[in-house]
Amino acid sequence: MNLKQIVEVLDATPLYAENGWESLKITEVFASDLISDILVSEGDDQLLLTSLTSPQVVRTAALIGATAIVLVHRRQAPPGMATVAREQAMPLFCGAVATYDACVLLGQLKERDQ
Amino acid sequence: MNEVPQPRDESGLRIQELAYGLKVRDVMTSKIFTVTRRCTMWEVQTIMKSNGISGVPVVDGCHVVGIVSMHDIMVAIEGGYLDDTVASHMVSDVQTLSDEVPLTFAMSAFTKYSYRRFPVVNQNNELVGIVTPRNINLALIRELSRQLDEIEEGESQLIDKKITAFHRIYRLTRYDFEHAGRASAELKKELKARGVPSKVIRRAAIASYELEINVVAHSHGGTFTMLVDEGRVRITANDFGPGIPDVDAAMTEGFSTANDWIRSQGFGAGMGLPNVKRVSDEFEIQSGVEMGTMVKAIVYLKKGVD
Repeated sequence: MNLKQIVEVLDATPLYAENGWESLKITEVFASDLISDILVSEGDDQLLLTSLTSPQVVRTAALIGATAIVLVHRRQAPPGMATVAREQAMPLFCGAVATYDACVLLGQLKERDQ
Repeated sequence: MNEVPQPRDESGLRIQELAYGLKVRDVMTSKIFTVTRRCTMWEVQTIMKSNGISGVPVVDGCHVVGIVSMHDIMVAIEGGYLDDTVASHMVSDVQTLSDEVPLTFAMSAFTKYSYRRFPVVNQNNELVGIVTPRNINLALIRELSRQLDEIEEGESQLIDKKITAFHRIYRLTRYDFEHAGRASAELKKELKARGVPSKVIRRAAIASYELEINVVAHSHGGTFTMLVDEGRVRITANDFGPGIPDVDAAMTEGFSTANDWIRSQGFGAGMGLPNVKRVSDEFEIQSGVEMGTMVKAIVYLKKGVD
């Protein structure tokens, strides 16, 4: 899957994304609202789904080398979050669907993709 | 030399760093004068006068049961009971310090209590020394000059051999989640530049990040030090309290004292310290209630433990 497909499926809008984000490859998806769990999640080309909107989420994602973050459930991100995303060059999107639905949609996408 | 540097913002980071490296055992006076309960206040006064000291622990065998200070002697002179035994006039509620705790704990203790000296005890609670602000100041000066010597001697060698040690000290402020994590990001960058395997980087980053967050979320603030040399990453988090009453509980997965606000930020799952221990090759924690907590985590760069 690439990020563009994911963003379309989740009906997400970019809060921060650099040119070329569309083609970023995503192999794994990790959904969590606990920083400690995100921190120890291990995955390559990983997308993070979360409803946490603190700038720390972006730092955590950057620290583990995640590819992008999609906020679920139309969470309103504080402006600081996009700022940190820019600093860390971490694509950040805001999605319309809830965590469970997002996981289902991405699961279907993954299946179609294989 | 009656004041000790406060382990807070007034003292420089370097001084704090020196203090973290030293233990109470390293700075205390081991040659101690003691008395038993049956000695008289007069005898204590004589010991103080002839040895130039201002406080004498009262012991029962090896254990401290009280302390007599200059103040107690002055009150005794005023009240005319210098011939009484110390048993009835000593302060029996004695605050002691463990010889193993970092020097910063002692510095915090001097700030918290108005005492001018603390008897130092070993693991068996036996009296092994006494520590005063003077001990602390002398030790810091000694350590500072030793390090300066090392720097002067070693600087040219370091450049020659291209041994580039990475050493950073950060100050962390309570609830400053905005800046927490910066040290870890820098560490990650540094390790990447050194060509350290990504699995090792990840472990070091986890340890570093969890410790950074711990200081910000749970302490009154503190310092955070990272040292990378050829073989390892050493991460040390020191704070000024409140200290962990039950370290075993804090090391248990799922145990958390985080408040709702911290939890709303995605923290407080009770995985912090267990995670740090899990990813570290060496792990040490020490905590004193109202004195502070010190956590040291070391990750070897060459040995993959995962």
